[in-house]
Amino acid sequence: MFSVLRAIWDNTYGLLVDDGQLAVGAIAALAITWLIAASSSEALRENAGWVLLVLVLALVIANLYRAGHNARRRTG
Amino acid sequence: MDLTTLAIAATPSFIASAVEFVEATTIVLAVGITRGWRAPLAGSALAALTLAVIVGTLGVALVTVVPEHLLLVLVGTLLLLFGLRWLRKAVLRFAGIVALHDEEEIYRKEVAELRAQGLRRTQWDWVGMIVAYKAVLLEGIEVAFIVIAFGAKGIGAMNAAIVGAIAAGIIVIALAAALRHPLTAVPENWMKFGVGAMLSSFGVFWFGEGVGAHWPGDAASIPLILGAYLVASWLAVRLLNGLLPQGARVEARNV
Repeated sequence: MFSVLRAIWDNTYGLLVDDGQLAVGAIAALAITWLIAASSSEALRENAGWVLLVLVLALVIANLYRAGHNARRRTG
Repeated sequence: MDLTTLAIAATPSFIASAVEFVEATTIVLAVGITRGWRAPLAGSALAALTLAVIVGTLGVALVTVVPEHLLLVLVGTLLLLFGLRWLRKAVLRFAGIVALHDEEEIYRKEVAELRAQGLRRTQWDWVGMIVAYKAVLLEGIEVAFIVIAFGAKGIGAMNAAIVGAIAAGIIVIALAAALRHPLTAVPENWMKFGVGAMLSSFGVFWFGEGVGAHWPGDAASIPLILGAYLVASWLAVRLLNGLLPQGARVEARNV
């Protein structure tokens, strides 16, 4: 039973997370957006979606750049 | 909803689900061709039933019980995580850092493993049934996830997402049954890239809506968001191509 639950958990986790840093970064970007939307002025709240988009795009490029660097290090 | 609107609304779910059906079909084909069809077909049917229960309970509960803004936040979060995972892998594959997904290779490996296990003709083929059940269930969970995510906006969207997924399933299974060979001609990385960008765009859009952000033109903003992802991905591929020596290939586990 434990192994079945473990397999379900592993598969669900694998469905959403391929690279831990990217997933943590995405959750941080979502949290920042939520905070901006919840605690800022009306104008900032209305633009919170664009803030999220910019954060996520920066995150994706930074994550891929790191992946490229790691790959370069390994290929010598 | 007229037929054209339905077709447009069902397209994202159709493309995303087709990728998953191709992967599941490869495994079921491998089992069926090496060990006979009864057990893998039974396993696939059982997995489809399991999935129907998951979508029926989880999907309906999500749409009817959870308040709309919370649902958008939840689905937006899941879509973003799911989409970024596909987008990242597709970009790494385009840049040559991760090997392309090779259905032919997966098929050959699966056939060799199944043949090695052997089969006593008098017994029910539990191995074949379990392998097919697991493949269809795991890929199907991704399809269920896609349907719930694209359909979370309401009943109309849910119907369109279900229609898209069912159409993809019928077409992929019919093609595989006719060819009796894995669908290697499907441009899987391009599809995964497109779907990853699309899911991530929907994720940003819905999360934004859920927290009260205003999108100019409402859903008309989605193509803009998608365009931003495509530009960023193109930049990333160029960046990675510049970083790596010509012809360098690194396994997925190394990045």
